[in-house]
Amino acid sequence: MKKTQVKLQAIQGNHSSALAAIDAGCRFYAGYPITPSSEVAEKMSSLLPDVDGVFIQMEDEIASMGAILGASLGGKKVMTATSGPGFSLKQEHIGFAAGAEIPCVIINVMRGGPSTGMPTRPSQGDVMQARWGTHGDHPVIVLAPDSVAEIYQQTLRAFNLAEQLRVPVVVLFDEVLGHLVESITIPEADTFERVERKWASGPEAEFQPYRDSGNGVPEMAMPGSGYRVHTTGLTHAEHGFPTQDPEIVERVTERLFNKISANYSLVESYEAEQCEKADVVIVAYGITARATRRALRKAREKGIGAGLFRPVTLWPFPQERFIEEVNPDAQILVPEMNRGQLSTEIERIAGRERVTSLPRFDGEPISPQQILEKIVEITAHG
Amino acid sequence: MKQIEIRLSGSGGQGLILGGRLLMHTLMLAGYYVAQSQSYEPTSRGGLSRSDLVASESPVEFPLATELDMIIVLDQVAVEPSRSLIRPGGLVFSDSQRVTQPLEGEFNSFEIPFHQIAREQGNPRGANIVALGLLVELGRFATQENLQTAIEKLTPQRFRSVNSTVAQAGKQWARDLDLKS
Repeated sequence: MKKTQVKLQAIQGNHSSALAAIDAGCRFYAGYPITPSSEVAEKMSSLLPDVDGVFIQMEDEIASMGAILGASLGGKKVMTATSGPGFSLKQEHIGFAAGAEIPCVIINVMRGGPSTGMPTRPSQGDVMQARWGTHGDHPVIVLAPDSVAEIYQQTLRAFNLAEQLRVPVVVLFDEVLGHLVESITIPEADTFERVERKWASGPEAEFQPYRDSGNGVPEMAMPGSGYRVHTTGLTHAEHGFPTQDPEIVERVTERLFNKISANYSLVESYEAEQCEKADVVIVAYGITARATRRALRKAREKGIGAGLFRPVTLWPFPQERFIEEVNPDAQILVPEMNRGQLSTEIERIAGRERVTSLPRFDGEPISPQQILEKIVEITAHG
Repeated sequence: MKQIEIRLSGSGGQGLILGGRLLMHTLMLAGYYVAQSQSYEPTSRGGLSRSDLVASESPVEFPLATELDMIIVLDQVAVEPSRSLIRPGGLVFSDSQRVTQPLEGEFNSFEIPFHQIAREQGNPRGANIVALGLLVELGRFATQENLQTAIEKLTPQRFRSVNSTVAQAGKQWARDLDLKS
């Protein structure tokens, strides 16, 4: 038996996100426990006191989201965790975070829905809600890890992106990954980058709380620092006061999106494997991507040219990279644990005639065999 | 790429999740990458409960069980849900008292008095540990020392000695078993 060279630890997916949050510098967590995400709160409640952090179990999910936004405005790196029903409740405040540009990280461990659905069964049903769950045109970043190790990496990255771009970042995975225990290596603290928020600088009198500081992102005023703080959900001009001036409204709304697109090289992450010459490319994320890996190996054993495009950044979708990487003549298969949510986005990019959806929404994960059978079916008719 | 898939199944309260954790550590000590998953029903006692392990020499590709090499069945309730997941030639070990209609099919089925052995060795709730001693001995994926180390590390001090004895009894049963190759 070949021995592994690295020191591995048995870590649960939910715990992995909590460990990463602490390592990223998160010092405030407010939440309301909900299956299958509760172990995130449980772990944070035991870890935070040791690093002089604050853990609060709030009365509900709405209050939890409000609490982390308050703490973030006060200067802390913050996180909450939930599942579908709680994610629905948090949407109003997520919109506030997007509009008032308050950095925060939300872990959403997806379970069967709609409504209270199936608390202990996996789903990928919140893909569209993560993007458009709150009203109005708004920016949001959604990261979709596919392993316990990647939950750690992407939670770290979520904090960096939230702080750097002043935007809510959702880390989205399902019950299988949340409760999965895998043997992984937690990186040493000095091996990864921790990004800190850009605080207000320069002459106090000239400071404007929502003025682009150069990369599309305004500097933030620490309450009590002397710089003027103005936080509002109303559409506001650079000085922070509400406005309905069409020219200003268009400019400031555009900036909310531009700060993401101008910095998209930071945001973007994806994996493309043998997509350029493939006859069929599978677009998969989360646990479904793990099933796809085995299906691909078996398909290749049958002589089928199959590739994988795995968006790690689910929103904004890495559209340009997809177009660059994927053979324009390839058929596209999108397996997912919902009725075809990402599939519609892929249809928009690749064209309807090329895309086949492989939906599953019975509370069971998609199996490698199920994907393999569909690959064989598509290539046989191709 | 060598891969092993093992399921511990039975009803809630039989220590299957702890058994899974112990086996995960045992496999890790033997140098494997491991993924462990479990069914997670709203009830904590009674009803189907299971813990699955997928171990591989390289990082685990798909972490859920699809073709079980070995399965422990400690209660009748766990018989049917696993039927389609056992690979041809796989090893099925059912409790000879609590499983009244063991699985039959293209695999090797054995009846073992897991609960009785545990009781005789002084831990009436140690059927899960008996199973681990047996699995490690027959599976040859790890040593009994790996299992003993996992028991020392993960079970409460007051149970360590008896758990160790119970695991040894499982090992002995495995040695006496006629595997019909």
